[in-house]
Amino acid sequence: MSGHHIISLKYLLGAATALVVLTIITVGASFIEIPRPFDLIVALSLAFGKATVVAAIFMGLIWDKKINTMALLFSLLFFIIMIGITLLDTLYRDVPFWIYS
Amino acid sequence: MANQNATHGESHVAHHFVDSEQQLDSSKLGMWLFLVTEVLFFGGLFVAYIVYRAWNPELFYMSAKELSTTLGAINTVVLIGSSLTIALAVRAAQLNQRALLSRYLIVTILLACVFLVIKYFEYTSKFAVGILPGEFYTYEGIDHPGAPIFFSIYYMMTGLHGLHVIIGIGLMVYLVVKARAGTYTAAYYTPVEVTALYWHLVDLIWIFLFPLLYLIE
Repeated sequence: MSGHHIISLKYLLGAATALVVLTIITVGASFIEIPRPFDLIVALSLAFGKATVVAAIFMGLIWDKKINTMALLFSLLFFIIMIGITLLDTLYRDVPFWIYS
Repeated sequence: MANQNATHGESHVAHHFVDSEQQLDSSKLGMWLFLVTEVLFFGGLFVAYIVYRAWNPELFYMSAKELSTTLGAINTVVLIGSSLTIALAVRAAQLNQRALLSRYLIVTILLACVFLVIKYFEYTSKFAVGILPGEFYTYEGIDHPGAPIFFSIYYMMTGLHGLHVIIGIGLMVYLVVKARAGTYTAAYYTPVEVTALYWHLVDLIWIFLFPLLYLIE
């Protein structure tokens, strides 16, 4: 099914509750001393978890045509390529002096 | 197989679509393709964030302490709430509940305004101590030669996000006017659906901005 799927209240309220709980966990985790880089990994994992809930339920990707999910995943793929190619340059050179001027 | 008679009965279906269902699916795919460009649009700023953070890890830890975790967390919950209310607005449209549709849209607009008001107080409290983007930065509380870098990125990312919130409010005001006029029914509510998709993306971006800008300690 696609198009006119009506998302049940149970799913919508459940998603909102899950997002608030995950936000509380995210804030709570930031107050715990987690050694680097694991603090960033924990924060980003929670953010990806929340993003998945929003995309799957609020944006209705579970019930939609799969091509919409494909579009989102391809945007992430190209985003990762953009990060990767940029870091291949910036990580292997000295920090340019002009950023401190 | 297209049911020609049924199709002709629905005035909102353009002649190049088989039926209402196909028209809605096409609109949604079009919106998703726009959202792909939005992801890459913000993606460029996230790349800037990653590059500068990799160059100055200490600076990011020092600067993020200046931001209020409480206000950031409240704004996160406000945006989650607004995502819920616009999803409920779509549901109301699908169920032909016109009064409920405009009510949910208005609540979403109000939550968006709450977000902007909190953002306004955050910005002005930073401006007051000289935390401004780029060359206008005069704050001396961060002992690092690259002190302005974090906040230039902060203002660009939250500023672009805030612009999206303002555009979202404009779109939803338009939807309320149209909903009041009775334009949207269970058979035709495409503008509500695609605006909701846009609004959820604004929420999604904030979900990443919040931990990356406020929670590095």
